[in-house]
Amino acid sequence: MNKLLSLIAACLVFASGQAIAQSPSVDDIVHRANKVSYYAGQDGRAQVEMTITDNQERVRNRRMTILRKDVPETDMLEDGAYRGEQKFYVYFTRPADVNKMGFLVWKKLDSDDERWLYLPALDLVKRIAASDKRTSFVGSDFYYEDVSGRDIDEDSHELIETTDNYYVLKNTPNDPSSVEFDHYKMYIHKDSFIPVQVEYYDAQGSKYRVATALKVDTIQGYATVTKASMENLKTGSKTVMEYSDVEYDIGLPDDIFSERYLRKPPRKFLR
Amino acid sequence: MQKTFAESVIRFSLDRPRTIIWSVVMVTLLLTTLATLPSLWPQQFPALQSLKIDTDPENMLSESEPARIFHNHAKKEFSLYDMVVVGIVNEEHANGVFNTASLTRIFKLTEFARQLNWPDSQDPNQWEGVIEVDMIAPSMVDNIEQGGLGAVNFSWLMPQPPTSEEEAIAVRDRAARIPFLHDTLVSGDGKAIALYLPLTSKHISYEVRKALLAYVEDWKGTGDQIFITGLPVAEDTFGVEMFVQMAVSAPLAMLVIFCLLWWFFRNFVLIISPMILAVVCSLSTMALLVISGNTVHIMSSMIPIFIMPIAVLDSVHILSEFFDRYPQIKDRRRTIEQVMRHLFKPMLFTTLTTIAGFASLALTPIPPVQVFGIFIAIGVFLAWLWTIIFIPAFIMLIPEHKLADFGHASGDVEDSTPMSRMLHQVGVWTYDHSRKIISGTFALVLIAAWGISLIQINDNPIKWFTASHPIRVADKVLNEHFGGTYMAYLQFEQAPNSVSVETYAQLLKLRLKVRKTQSVDNGFLFTDKVFDQITDKIDSGLPTIESKKRLLFALTSMAQVALDNAPDDEYDAWDDLLLFFDEERQRDEVFKQPEVLNYLDKLQQHLLETGIVGKSNSVVDVVKTVHRELLLGEDAAFRIPDTASAVAQTLITYQNSHRPQDLWHFVTPDYRKAVLWLQLTSGDNQDMETVIKSVETFVADNPPPYALEPHWFGLTYINTVWQDKMVSGMLEAFAGSFLIVLLMMVFLFRSLLWGILAMIPLTVTVGLIYGIIGLTGKNYDMPVAVLSSLSLGLAVDYAIHFLARAREARKNYASWRETIPEMFGEPARAITRNAIILGAGFLPLLAAPLIPYKTVGVFIAAIIVCAGIASLLILPATIRMLETKLFR
Repeated sequence: MNKLLSLIAACLVFASGQAIAQSPSVDDIVHRANKVSYYAGQDGRAQVEMTITDNQERVRNRRMTILRKDVPETDMLEDGAYRGEQKFYVYFTRPADVNKMGFLVWKKLDSDDERWLYLPALDLVKRIAASDKRTSFVGSDFYYEDVSGRDIDEDSHELIETTDNYYVLKNTPNDPSSVEFDHYKMYIHKDSFIPVQVEYYDAQGSKYRVATALKVDTIQGYATVTKASMENLKTGSKTVMEYSDVEYDIGLPDDIFSERYLRKPPRKFLR
Repeated sequence: MQKTFAESVIRFSLDRPRTIIWSVVMVTLLLTTLATLPSLWPQQFPALQSLKIDTDPENMLSESEPARIFHNHAKKEFSLYDMVVVGIVNEEHANGVFNTASLTRIFKLTEFARQLNWPDSQDPNQWEGVIEVDMIAPSMVDNIEQGGLGAVNFSWLMPQPPTSEEEAIAVRDRAARIPFLHDTLVSGDGKAIALYLPLTSKHISYEVRKALLAYVEDWKGTGDQIFITGLPVAEDTFGVEMFVQMAVSAPLAMLVIFCLLWWFFRNFVLIISPMILAVVCSLSTMALLVISGNTVHIMSSMIPIFIMPIAVLDSVHILSEFFDRYPQIKDRRRTIEQVMRHLFKPMLFTTLTTIAGFASLALTPIPPVQVFGIFIAIGVFLAWLWTIIFIPAFIMLIPEHKLADFGHASGDVEDSTPMSRMLHQVGVWTYDHSRKIISGTFALVLIAAWGISLIQINDNPIKWFTASHPIRVADKVLNEHFGGTYMAYLQFEQAPNSVSVETYAQLLKLRLKVRKTQSVDNGFLFTDKVFDQITDKIDSGLPTIESKKRLLFALTSMAQVALDNAPDDEYDAWDDLLLFFDEERQRDEVFKQPEVLNYLDKLQQHLLETGIVGKSNSVVDVVKTVHRELLLGEDAAFRIPDTASAVAQTLITYQNSHRPQDLWHFVTPDYRKAVLWLQLTSGDNQDMETVIKSVETFVADNPPPYALEPHWFGLTYINTVWQDKMVSGMLEAFAGSFLIVLLMMVFLFRSLLWGILAMIPLTVTVGLIYGIIGLTGKNYDMPVAVLSSLSLGLAVDYAIHFLARAREARKNYASWRETIPEMFGEPARAITRNAIILGAGFLPLLAAPLIPYKTVGVFIAAIIVCAGIASLLILPATIRMLETKLFR
C-alpha cells in the first residue's frame, strides 16, 4: 500500500500547482482537501464508467453522466466561503435496462439532503428519504456520501502524522450512532491536497473499507481524480470509478437540476 | 492341513504363553502409541497421522459425488453459508420479545455475535467465525418503507435499542411487512426473534453456540429464553457428545459384561481375559484407523461398540466349554487342547462369515460406511487371532490350583443348574414339537415380511438427539414459531443454449430492422447508414464467429470504435445502436423477465401448500416488496412489474440499501441463475422427499419458461441423497454378503442342505428385526441400516456352532433324539451364556443421550437374543424333520 501511495504522490507533484511553504493547520488541511475533492470549479461534468467486482471476480458495469453545480459563486477558501449547497444530476445509460434512469441530489449543509430517483420503466419520480447517507450508491461499494462528499463538520479532525508526502488525518464522528465506522484515516497529499487514501476502521480497530485515488489528472487547472476505487474488506467487493470527458465551468443552468428534467433529460449537457 | 495348522498354533501358545502375552501387549501398545503421539503432539510427529474427527453427514457422500460438487459450487456462487439459528422467545411478556428490555438484550447479543470471529488456526491470514456482513439480526438488516410524502426510505430495522414500548412494537410491525424478514427474523405470531449467524465453516458451530450460551448466562429470570439450533450445531454437538458417549457407555457395557461373566464362571482371573481381548481389539482397530489417516466419523465411532461383542463372543465359547470340561479333565492343557479342537473350525468360520458381512460394506457407495466395514473386518480378524492364541496362553499362565473350584464341581454336569435343566427340557421340547416350531417360524416370517413392507426410510440428524436434549427442544420451539429452520435450496438456470449462432444472427438482423425504423422515427440522423453498416458486418463476420456472445461482443466493439470516431451528427444513431446491442446482451438475463419471476412466484405459492415448507424466499419477494414501496406502499402494488426494465430498475433501487449484496444470495449478478430458499419445518428426509416430488409435479404440470431447469442443493437435500445411496447400497451389500456366507456354509458343511440350514436362524433374525422396525414405525435410518451387517455376522455364529457340534455329536448316537441331551448340554449352554452376556451387555447403551447409540444397543441385544433363540429352537426342530436327509 505504501508503495502505491508513494507512486501516486510522485505523480501528484507534477499534477498539482503550488506547494504551501509552512505547515498548514488541521482546519486548513481539511478545507483544502474538501474543496479539491468536491468543489472544483463552479460546476462540472464527467462520464463515469463504474466497474463493480465482487469477491468471486464477477463484474458488473454501470455507465452514467454526472453533472454538478455549486450554489456559492466563490471558490474562496477563507471562512469556508466555497462551501454551500450543491446540486448533482446523475444520468444512467448502461446497462440498457436502466438507460435514462436519473438521480438528483440537492446537497445541503444544515439539513438533510434531498434526493430524487427517476425510474423511466415505471415512469416514476420518487423522493428518497435521506436520513442515512451511508447506503450503497446503486449497488456499488461507494456510499452516497462518498459521491457527494461527507460534510466536514460531521467529524472531529486530528492530524496524527506528517510524512514526506502526506498529512495523515484521523477523523472521528461527532455522532457515532449515525455512522457504521469508528473513525477513518485520510492520507492527504501535501501539495495537491487530494485525499489519496481513506481508510475506515470499525469499533474493534480493524480496517474494513478503503478508498484510493488511482489516477489524478490536471483538468483546466484543477487536480482531478480520474480513477478511484472503493474496496470493502468485509465483503471482498471492489468498485472502480473511471471519469472521462471531465469538464469544469461549463455554465450549467440551475433549472436542469429539477424533477422536470429528470423526466426529460437535458441531452445537450449529457453527451 | 487345517488341523495341523490349528494344532501347531495352539501348541505354540500353550508352550510359550509368556511370549504370546508379551507380543499381544507390545503390538497393542505400539499401535496405540503411534496413534496417540501425533494426536497429542502433532508438531513433534508431523509424519504420523493424528486423530481427525468428522461429524459432517455431507461426508457420507464422496468428495467427487456430483450432488455434493453442485451443492458446494452453488453455495459458493450464492454466498450461502451454514448457519447457526438463535431464537429468542419470551413467554412472560404480552408482546413476547418486542419490549424495550428484551430488544436491548437482543441488540447487545447481536453486537457480541458479530465479533465472534478470530484468525484461522490453519491460516493466520484468513478469519473464521461468524460472517458479520451476512448476519440476519434486527440491528443489521434493512427496512424499506414509506418515508414521508411520496418518499421511499431505506433504514436499519432497529439501528439502536428502542427507548419506548411503542418503538419496540414498531420494530415488529415494520418487519412483518418485509417478506424476507417475516417468519424468518420475526416469528409469524410476532412474539419471537431469530438471529441467523452464517459461519465460515460449520465445524466451528459448537464453539459459537458455547460462546452464545455463556453470554446469555445472566438472562436468567428476565423471561427471555434462548434456543440455538441449525443443522451445523446439531452435527457439531453430536461430534463432541460422541466422544463423551464412547467414554461412558462403552465402559459401562464392559462392566455389565464383566458382571455377567463373573456370575457364570466365578473366576476373576479367568474372565478378565475376554475383557482384555475386547479392549485390545477395540483399541488396536481404532489405532489402525487413526494411523491410516481415516477420520473418526459418526460411523467409525461405533467401531468399538461393534468389535467388543464380537471379540467377547469367541472367548465366551472357549471359556464356556472350558468351564464345562475342566472339572472332568482336571488339566488345563489337555482341557484347552480338547476345547480348541472342537471350537477351532466353527470359530474360524464364524469369523470368516462376520468378516464377509462387514467387508461387503466396502462395496457400498458411501465412504464412511466403507471405512466402517473394512475396519470392523480387520478388528474381527484381530479378535479371532488373539482369541485362539491369547486365551489359551492366558489360561496356561493361571496356576492350576487357582482353577481348582472352577467349572461344574460335581460330575453331575447335566442337571446342576436351573439353566442346564431348562435347556435340557427345551431340547426335548424341540423334538416333540418340531412341527409347531416350524409353523410358528413361518407365521413369524410372514408377519415380519408384512412389517418390512411397512418400513419407513427416514433420517434426520436433529433426531439423533433424544427428545429432551436442548438441541431437540430448541428445534421444536423454533419451528413452532418460525417458518422453519431447515434450509433447502432450489436453483433454476437455463438449459444449455440450443440456439445456434446462425439462427441468432438471423433473429438479430430482424430486430435490427425494427430498431432502425424506431431510430429513424426518433429523428436520429444517418440511421440508415449506420444500421446498414452493422448489418453488413453481421453477414461478413459471421463465418468466423462461434458463439452468440462473441458475435455481440464483436459488434459492440466495432460500434464503439465507430462512435468514438464518428462525426457529431452520426452520434445519436451510433449511440442508439450501442444501446440496442446492450439490450440484446441483456436478453440472457432471464431472472429479470416478469414471465420468469411470475413462474417462480407461482411455484413458491405451490410449495407453501405442501405444509412442510413453512416459508420460501427469492428474488421475487425482493422485487415485489420494493415495487410496493415505490408505489406508495399499496398492497395492490405487491407484484412483479410488467417489463424487464421495470424489474431491473426496481432491483437497482433495492441496491441503494445498506446491504446491496443480499441480492446475490438469490440471483447471480448476471441474472442467469436464481435460487429459491426453502425453510422447512422438519429436517426429516421423508419430508424433504415430499417437497422434491412436489416440485417435480409442479414442473411437469407447468413447463418453466426459457427452458429453465431446477437443481436442488442444501444440507437437508444432501441428506436425502446419501440416504438413498445408503438404502440401496446396504441392500446390495447385504444381499452380496448373504450369498457369500451361504457359499461359505455350503463349503464348511460340504452340503447344500446343511448350508441352507445354517442360514435359517440368520434369515429369521434379520427378518424379525426389520419386521419389528416396520411394525413399530421406527424409522429405517443410518444406524438401523448398518445393523443388517451386524446381524449377518452375529446371527450365523450360533448356527455354525450348533450345527458343527450337532453333526459331530450325531456320529456317537443312533438317532437325533439320542443326540439331543448332548446338544442341549454344553453346546446349548455356551450359546445361551453368550446370548445373555452380550444381550445384557449392550443394554447400557440405552442410557446414552444420542439416539444412534441407543438404537445400536437395543438392536444388538435383540439380534443376539433372537439369533440365540432361533438357533436353539428352529435348528433342532428342522433337524428332527429332515433327520433322514441330513444324516445319511
